[in-house]
Amino acid sequence: MLAMTALLFAAPAFAQNPTATGVINATLINKNGISLVFDTDPSGVTLGAAGTSAATLNFGTISAFGPLAPGVTRPSVSATNYIVRTVFDVQVIQGGLTSTTYTLSAQLATALPTGFSFKIDGVTLVNGPSNIQTNAVYNVDVSHNLDLTVSTAAPGAGGPAVGTPQSTVINFQASPN
Amino acid sequence: MKESSINGLVLRTASLLLLMLAAGAAASAQTSSAQLSINLTVQSSISLIFKDNPNVGNVGFCPLTNAGTNNVGLDLGSASFPGSFHSSACVDYTHVGASFYQVSSAFDVLVTKSNSSSPSYRLAAQISTAPPASVVWLVNNVTLNSAGFTTLDTADAFGSPVTKTLQVQVRNNVPGQILQETITFLATAN
Repeated sequence: MLAMTALLFAAPAFAQNPTATGVINATLINKNGISLVFDTDPSGVTLGAAGTSAATLNFGTISAFGPLAPGVTRPSVSATNYIVRTVFDVQVIQGGLTSTTYTLSAQLATALPTGFSFKIDGVTLVNGPSNIQTNAVYNVDVSHNLDLTVSTAAPGAGGPAVGTPQSTVINFQASPN
Repeated sequence: MKESSINGLVLRTASLLLLMLAAGAAASAQTSSAQLSINLTVQSSISLIFKDNPNVGNVGFCPLTNAGTNNVGLDLGSASFPGSFHSSACVDYTHVGASFYQVSSAFDVLVTKSNSSSPSYRLAAQISTAPPASVVWLVNNVTLNSAGFTTLDTADAFGSPVTKTLQVQVRNNVPGQILQETITFLATAN
């Protein structure tokens, strides 16, 4: 009699499907971040690797009086130097910061070739950081004028080398305000 | 409260403060760097512009329109052989021989160079169309033609204005008409 009762109670339990439970202890560390990319400006030269933080900008062949590449202008020519200009965009994106604006600085990565000097938005670039913009807004393309002043002197007399490709690297830094 | 519990509380509080300080420091020091590589090639170049001569306004020195550029105008007015007629006060009018008259006006040519070690330049000129019979266009007494450039100078100095005189000689049997030429000047670095 006792064995029969035990069997009756056990039968419903075996009729249900077996279950199992588990948990995942997930963790995401959301870090603050800020990134700077270069974009092609509609009025400037087309950047190489635009949209990245390691872009290239080619002025093409420049001269005081001859034709210039599309996107390059020549705002001034004097007896001692001339300026060629193009425009490029900088976009800085931030996440997780309370900052609403950033400061953009730039500096020459290497010594300039003879006969050249660079300005961004009128600020002369040197081998140390120079502030270009102190209250730039995130998430939009901000256009900047890049002016290259070239001496009109002849090669070997203070002027730049002629007919050979030259390059310069400018380092940029965006710091949250 | 036991001493061990107090020590634990102090330790946890200190750890929290350190974490907060560390987090704050990390947020303020966060920056983004990027690199823009600039490439270019410099080319030698020269330019040529026409300028009014310092004597402009006097006889033989008419003003240019659009002076200071490489595309100017020079109005010599009207002239005829009989009576040495000429309407312009600034042209130099003369009779050349028995049957030609000449009107002339001087102007300056300025050639500058950039990024060039060239010591001098050659200057040449060419008229755009063949003139009518018995009409001659000259610069500094050198006759121009429309077939090609005629050399005017072989070693002019950059950066120093060179005065050139444009002359038009017309025979007295040439019918009345407008005489017009576009004169192209060519400077070539030596």
